[in-house]
Amino acid sequence: MIDLLELKKIGVQFGDKQVLKDISIKFQPGEIIGLVAPNGTGKSTLMNVIMNYLPPNQGKVILNHELQYSSKANEVKIHQDVSMMPDQSDLYNHVSGKNHLKIYQEMWNSDPKLIDDTIVKLGMESYVKKKTGTYSLGMRQRLCFAMQIVSNTQVMLMDEVMNGLDPTHVELISQILLQKKAEGKTIIIASHLLENLEQYADRIFFMKNGELKLVDDVSPGFSDNKVTTVRVSNFSQELLIVFKEQFPELAVQTLPNGKTLIDVKEQDTITLGAITQYLIAQRLTDFSFGKLTLNDLYSLEYQQS
Amino acid sequence: MWAYFKWELSQFFTNKKNIAVYVILLFLAIYFVLKIAPSYEPIEKVDVAEMEARYTTRDDFIKSVEGKDNIHPSVAFALAIFPGWNEYDKARIDAIGDKDYLKYAEATAGWYLYSDQLIVNSGDFFYNPLYYTYGNNYAHADGHYGYGYTASRFTGYVEGNSELSMELFEERTALQTLQRMLNDYLPIVLFISCIFLSVDIVLKDRRNPSLLKGFPIADWKKLLMKGIVAFIGSVLTFIPLCVGFIVIGLQNGFGDFSLPVPIYSYIEETFTNMPMITFILKNVLFMAIWFLFFIVISLFLSIIVKAEFANLFVSFLLIAAEWIYFERVMGAYSDIERYPTSYVQVGQVISGYRNFVYESPDLTYQYGLTIVGGCTLLLMILTLIVSKFKRFKLIA
Repeated sequence: MIDLLELKKIGVQFGDKQVLKDISIKFQPGEIIGLVAPNGTGKSTLMNVIMNYLPPNQGKVILNHELQYSSKANEVKIHQDVSMMPDQSDLYNHVSGKNHLKIYQEMWNSDPKLIDDTIVKLGMESYVKKKTGTYSLGMRQRLCFAMQIVSNTQVMLMDEVMNGLDPTHVELISQILLQKKAEGKTIIIASHLLENLEQYADRIFFMKNGELKLVDDVSPGFSDNKVTTVRVSNFSQELLIVFKEQFPELAVQTLPNGKTLIDVKEQDTITLGAITQYLIAQRLTDFSFGKLTLNDLYSLEYQQS
Repeated sequence: MWAYFKWELSQFFTNKKNIAVYVILLFLAIYFVLKIAPSYEPIEKVDVAEMEARYTTRDDFIKSVEGKDNIHPSVAFALAIFPGWNEYDKARIDAIGDKDYLKYAEATAGWYLYSDQLIVNSGDFFYNPLYYTYGNNYAHADGHYGYGYTASRFTGYVEGNSELSMELFEERTALQTLQRMLNDYLPIVLFISCIFLSVDIVLKDRRNPSLLKGFPIADWKKLLMKGIVAFIGSVLTFIPLCVGFIVIGLQNGFGDFSLPVPIYSYIEETFTNMPMITFILKNVLFMAIWFLFFIVISLFLSIIVKAEFANLFVSFLLIAAEWIYFERVMGAYSDIERYPTSYVQVGQVISGYRNFVYESPDLTYQYGLTIVGGCTLLLMILTLIVSKFKRFKLIA
């Protein structure tokens, strides 16, 4: 597959703190990448490096195998294909939403029809002609997303795109993201809405200690559609001890949110049946068979002491 | 690039600070029309009572000493020159009475030339007392300049085809008021407006960084567009001032573009007349170059220093510098013509008044354009070069 965007040994250091450590990764066209990590771990920094808003201490960003931020002329060329969603606090309060969309369409010289199409898709018709100073957080967020969609660049970077959005609009934007993916766009999204991200992201990375970790590497088989985990609610310590004695071959972990995860990868149906029987016998009826969710992994990665 | 230009232009004219600049200019224009213009008292005004008093005094003197022998040489001198002088005054008084303005202009031109010839090297006669203000060590020279200026102006009226009037003689018409203001503080007011309009043209983008940083347009193009927008905005500062111009025009007449504007030649020590339209266009061109200079300073400093205060400080220093070093006649022993700051008083440079006060023939319009234009061009090139460096970003 052709790589559209490549990060090569990117390193960023603020004082003594290494925020990004030797990050190398390639992004392909028609791919949605999810970046997941707690605040302040370097997601925005990585995006700023991709945009060259923050030149890295080491490494390089390469677009289409050749273009690098080696000169300001190249930066303009790269920005024609790579854009980042604006922050809603940076909108001009005295300018209408439509004019914001218009400047983005004109600056990237994209199809003017995109403006009206995007307005309709995001349900912005009723307010888009009003000044953005009158908008709610969700309306502003939708406008910022619409601006980037209107720019129609090949690579789109979105930092916390779902912030302040109600579930309807989260779903609406998710659908547009999938549509853009189908058009061959590369979309890199940093988000805390993990369940939502899981729905449409092709690859999800955790950022920890300045490094990018693919969730499939953190939890092998994460993306496979197999039963790998039994998730149990209200598993008491006493019962858990008894369970571990009864099933010593199974790995069991209790998350900070109270859920207990039983690893049943490569277990046969007899074992699965035995587990079910045990849980029912102990009146632990709130359990489910499935796979590890991104929320589970996030909890394991960042919330486990 | 066109899209960016339109965006910058719309931001410029919706910027509250910029709107405030235009509103203040409008208030200044109204204040000028209501308060300052009506109280304008020219030194060389049409004062029939004064002419008659002068005429009568001299006539009485002539009659009292005429035909007498053994008169003092100074009395003889007075007797020799007073009849000619009175002839002019009589002609002026009669012309005013007859409302024959052409004849008045002719007599007045003659009167000022005659008076100046008599007074300039004389210890006995003086120019209009209003030139002799407290602390003015150059009052006599100022009087000589004023009389020469007025003589030239009235000669121009005689030779020209303008419709003459009392307002015209006292330089009260709208175009003459504009001419007087161009010789006064109007250029400074416009330069200060230009500085305030352009001071944040680059640095305002810091308020919306994520929205603007990624625009796929080169920094030098952004700077060029910002410069053009600031220039257009600065040129449009004339519009609020036009209100004053129109009101004065309706009150005192507009004058016409062929009205004579006396221009002083330091070398020949004489005045020649320039048509009003030429004078105004020369002023506009020179001020436009100054506007560009101030705008480029703001652009350059915005990249290098990234502080609006620095833009203001340097620009105001350029305007104020001449006040710091200015001394009458210093041009005779100093190269003041080499400093762009010596050309801030645009109208005075064009009219030759700066040559007169500096006593320097080198402070010319052409040289000023070259110096200020050269500095502007140099700074433009420097800004272009700096904008190409990766370390200098428009939005940090």
